[in-house]
Amino acid sequence: MISLPMSRILSIVVTLAMLVAVCAVFLYAPTERQMGDVQRIFYFHVSAALSAATAYFLVFLGSVQYLRTRADRWDRFAKVSAELGIAFSAFVLFSGPLWARPIWGVFWRWEPRLTTMLITFTIYVAYLMVRSYGEPGERTQRFAAVVGIVAFVNVPLVHYSINMWAADQQLHPPKVELDPAMLYTKLICYFTFACLFTLLMRLRLQQERQAARLEALSRRTQQ
Amino acid sequence: MSAVPSTWAHTRILLRKDLVAEWRTKERLSPMVFFVLLVLLVFNFGFELGGAALWEIGPGVLWTSFVFASLFGLQRTFAAEGANDCLDGLLAAPVERGALYLAKMLGNVLFLLGVELLTLPMFGLFFNLTPGLYLLPLFVVFLLGSASVASIGTLFAAMAGHSRLREFLLPLLVLPMLIPALISCVAATGVILEGGIPGRGTELWPAELTVHVGMLGLFAVVFTTLAWMLFDFVIEE
Amino acid sequence: MELRAESVHKRFGTAVALAGVDLTAAADTHLLLAGANGAGKTTLLRLFAGLTGPTEGRVMIGGQDPRRSTAQRWRLGLLSHQTLLYDDLTAAENLRFFGGLYGLGVETVSSALVAVDLADHAEAKVGGFSRGMKQRLALARATLHTPEVLLLDEPFTGLDRRSARTLSTRLLERTRQPGVSSVLVTHNVEEAAQFVNRVIILRGGRVVCDEPWSARDGALLQALCDHHQEVPR
Repeated sequence: MISLPMSRILSIVVTLAMLVAVCAVFLYAPTERQMGDVQRIFYFHVSAALSAATAYFLVFLGSVQYLRTRADRWDRFAKVSAELGIAFSAFVLFSGPLWARPIWGVFWRWEPRLTTMLITFTIYVAYLMVRSYGEPGERTQRFAAVVGIVAFVNVPLVHYSINMWAADQQLHPPKVELDPAMLYTKLICYFTFACLFTLLMRLRLQQERQAARLEALSRRTQQ
Repeated sequence: MSAVPSTWAHTRILLRKDLVAEWRTKERLSPMVFFVLLVLLVFNFGFELGGAALWEIGPGVLWTSFVFASLFGLQRTFAAEGANDCLDGLLAAPVERGALYLAKMLGNVLFLLGVELLTLPMFGLFFNLTPGLYLLPLFVVFLLGSASVASIGTLFAAMAGHSRLREFLLPLLVLPMLIPALISCVAATGVILEGGIPGRGTELWPAELTVHVGMLGLFAVVFTTLAWMLFDFVIEE
Repeated sequence: MELRAESVHKRFGTAVALAGVDLTAAADTHLLLAGANGAGKTTLLRLFAGLTGPTEGRVMIGGQDPRRSTAQRWRLGLLSHQTLLYDDLTAAENLRFFGGLYGLGVETVSSALVAVDLADHAEAKVGGFSRGMKQRLALARATLHTPEVLLLDEPFTGLDRRSARTLSTRLLERTRQPGVSSVLVTHNVEEAAQFVNRVIILRGGRVVCDEPWSARDGALLQALCDHHQEVPR
């Protein structure tokens, strides 16, 4: 199996990149003039949000492929992606209020992007519930795939309608000219999160694959 | 000799069967209407309704009651097919699965629309709503709102029987996914109710309405189409 | 019409219902699917009816997947121990509904009701029928469109002797038509002897016996089934 050394290489890359990213965020990037040090949350916050969005797209991809091929590996792919999406969303929903408290004065505001993230998060938690409370087997996998597809199609509608609903609440910092050091820090963080995402994805997929093999084996021995 | 009727003919036959059965038993419509009445009553004690805040919280109260009542109605979508294994009879018949979805979805639209129209007078009474022609666009909002609820609700109702979550599954899936439609329903209803404020211009179709109704229409069309395409995967054993 | 199963596997979660079934039955074949509980006989029947799909392999009716082809499903008739009827509708409404799904006119419904001696109860709700009447109506429902393949899933369960005899007489009239084939799943092997001309015995999701059958002797058929269920292959 070549997958094991690959994962090991990736873990080393992630560890190093994470160290570099943390140093860049705290030491290299300059302090933002208006928000102060709190703005440094933004580097990880945005990276996590991007990872979550990628994960939800992968759920969609895995779901479509599962319904086309009925191959268990696509089902596992969708499941693992949803888990990661939820994990990264949770981080976004956690780091957002941390930043909001000093800047907006409150932890939570029904601000469009934050609200969209929260709703998306609940949809994918429901997705995982469909999986975990279904009878194990092909039917639950099919149901999950259907939910995974409907959920993803829903995301732009959620985003659009929330924007319409709370246009006056739009408080996310508008696009600003970033200091080059800030830009590099941001790119380093994107890269780090991309590596972390890939690593977690690989590890979880391996686990799930092994769990499936184990189950198949124990089924064969029972017969 | 084998003349399989068209999908649309099948949809009509299936829908008619459900309507006749409902007409005879009233298993869905009556409890849903009564449920909306109860929710309005509960809201009254929660918020002290009937004051000047009608156009502010009224639309929210109305749609919250509708959505919760509709969840009960949606649960029963496939109840008749579960008894005596009737679903097997339908699936073994030369009926496209899509026709079954369309019939059940249209049935749900009609039930929800019925509930909404029957409870609107109660709502009007409790909220001291001034009746008037300005309420006419509400029918469009009710129709598209019901279609939005039914589009995803019918799809997920077909799954509910096979999960250990049972009657929990439907609200868990429908509520978060419905939010875009719910926002538009509430906003559009708010715009319409504002027409009742004395001295307000009495346009029949205020301009702000178009964007909300458009959003609702988009939601209903997108998810009806998607659910219709995906229904095969849900109904198969 | 030809029924065919090609290396069909069916799993429900971790449970194995069918583990590689190969089977071809030409027109005029009347199959008995026998076997203990959980042997996979009902699953096989449901696959032929297009109610479910195989996990692996192919199931075909007249060369086509019954799940995909409404034209092939049109030629199937399904009769089960459940009535597949709506209790809140009348007998005539039930038949008109299913007749509509098969594209049949109202005349078919009235003659079908006469044929099963239920013309007098046409406007009564099915919920109030006796078990025997329900099953007669279920037969009328299943054969409304004169199907070429009759799929019978324990049709005699819960019937008293007289109703069972009436039902089997009427079923025989149907299955004896030229070009008609049937698949019968039953526990009660003895009464199957007069229906079938081929016996398939399943065990653990596999075919353990596949033999032609011409005798009318129910006890003999029972002995054959018992033998194959008990003795290891």
